[in-house]
Amino acid sequence: MPDLISLQTRMADALLHGRFAALGDQIVAGPVAAQEALGLHRNTVLCALSNALRLTFPTAEALVGEAFFDQAALAFVAVHPPARACLTGYGADFPAFLETYAPATDIPYLVDVARLDAVVEEVGALSVGADGGVIDLGQMLLILDASIRLLDLTYPAAAIRDAIETGDDAALGAVDLAPGRYRRVLWRVPAGAAIRPLGPAAFAFLAALLDGAAPDTALKAALAEGADLIALQTEIFAAPFARLTMSPTLETDR
Amino acid sequence: MTLHSFIANASSDAVSRGARPIPAEAGIGLRLPHHAVVRQTAPAAAWFEVHPENYMTPGLADELAGVAERYPLSLHAVGLSLGSACGIDADYLSRLKALERRVRPGLVSDHLSWSAASLPTGPLHLPDLLPLPYTEEALAVVAANVDRVQDALGRQILIENPSTYLRFAGSVLGEAQFLAALTRATGCGVLLDINNIEVAVMNQGGDPARALADYLDLIPAAAIGEIHLAGHAVCPLDSGRAVRVDDHGSRVCPEVWALYETAIRRLGPRPTLIEWDTALPAFDVLQEEAAAAQFILDLAAMDRAPVPEAAHA
Repeated sequence: MPDLISLQTRMADALLHGRFAALGDQIVAGPVAAQEALGLHRNTVLCALSNALRLTFPTAEALVGEAFFDQAALAFVAVHPPARACLTGYGADFPAFLETYAPATDIPYLVDVARLDAVVEEVGALSVGADGGVIDLGQMLLILDASIRLLDLTYPAAAIRDAIETGDDAALGAVDLAPGRYRRVLWRVPAGAAIRPLGPAAFAFLAALLDGAAPDTALKAALAEGADLIALQTEIFAAPFARLTMSPTLETDR
Repeated sequence: MTLHSFIANASSDAVSRGARPIPAEAGIGLRLPHHAVVRQTAPAAAWFEVHPENYMTPGLADELAGVAERYPLSLHAVGLSLGSACGIDADYLSRLKALERRVRPGLVSDHLSWSAASLPTGPLHLPDLLPLPYTEEALAVVAANVDRVQDALGRQILIENPSTYLRFAGSVLGEAQFLAALTRATGCGVLLDINNIEVAVMNQGGDPARALADYLDLIPAAAIGEIHLAGHAVCPLDSGRAVRVDDHGSRVCPEVWALYETAIRRLGPRPTLIEWDTALPAFDVLQEEAAAAQFILDLAAMDRAPVPEAAHA
């Protein structure tokens, strides 16, 4: 009998790749044959990982169908098995994998749909209403929700997701799949993740703030996109994921 | 330190930190699809048990904290990989500790199994509860890992006997013997999964009643801190044989109820959990299964109650 660490290394490799012959002599023959027992374990592992991906990428699965998705998931698992016990976040590389997955090349918008699914899942796991970055605007503070995430997509993944979530086949058929720029902000709400479109200026302004830029630098980034202040006010300052408050120094002065 | 003093100290440590003890009643495994029912209707349940891996994000930890305010809670992990020769994942352990501190569970448990291995390509964690050879080496590995977890959490954990499909040629100890030795070495408790005994013994050839008797003979009753009940599937194989699959996807079968009754008559009432993970039914089906377990617990409690002396005429 090999030592435990060798046995576990061999068994893990065998279960991941379906190469059971290397373990045959380690297992006592019983009512369930060794190959059958190992096959059950391999099936459990692959089903658990496929299901984890299915839960994170529901729109991608609905778009391509269960059989196609399972094939893609199994191909992904073979090259990106999990390293950690907690499967939260497992599959973060799945959209990038789909970019090079040959059977998906005829569905160019699938990668963006998967990116959106991944961020919806990520945001949905965060706390509701937690304060994030505090931007000092002088006499005012701009407080951003900690769950804000930005996505700059080439295809209308949010429209596809909406149509699939509501089961609206007509809306799905009407989505214009022409490539373009689809800028979206996501943040946590009690029901999950909210998604809103952002104009170029608001997106650039918010992206710069989230990167830690000073407000004047963020404003310059917005101006470079042709900012008008009304757009910034409605899309950022009046948005549910941000709030303005008086600076504590000013409150003390009062 | 003796087993009994360790259990007493570990329990009092957890209780002193505000843990609500798990009653010796029938509880229910709480899964994410039932959270809305629990949040909105606060259904009757003696206690809940959850897999902590599902709550290791801020949003879901918030949700679980809400449940813990209203019900006694048990954390039943599947990710510690206590049988791994490569040791315990420090990141996972620190997440488990953070959740344990937040929701203050009455019990914490995991399985006598392994999931993690160190491959030349890097660490690998397979989401399954894989079987161990029952050797002295494996016992030393599991004991060291259990010690590490108990030290980190500052409390006793319970170890569940696994459902298995195979047995290793190198095993020199029986499963009950292995677990009994583990309790002696570490002061851990045992989570006795009755369905797993039925599944494992039927898959490996043997008599489940005899196997249960081994457990009850070899493991001190005081060390058995919880019991699990669940349904399993009987699936045909290509070879023409059948295999019991521990899918937690149906009601508890009559054979498992009979084993449970035997165990409870011998042990006395124990916290007992109805587990249901696949093909999850409506919440009231789980309540029905818990009521059936509670009936057996109540009978055992009545049997053990002191008989009042007859009044003298």
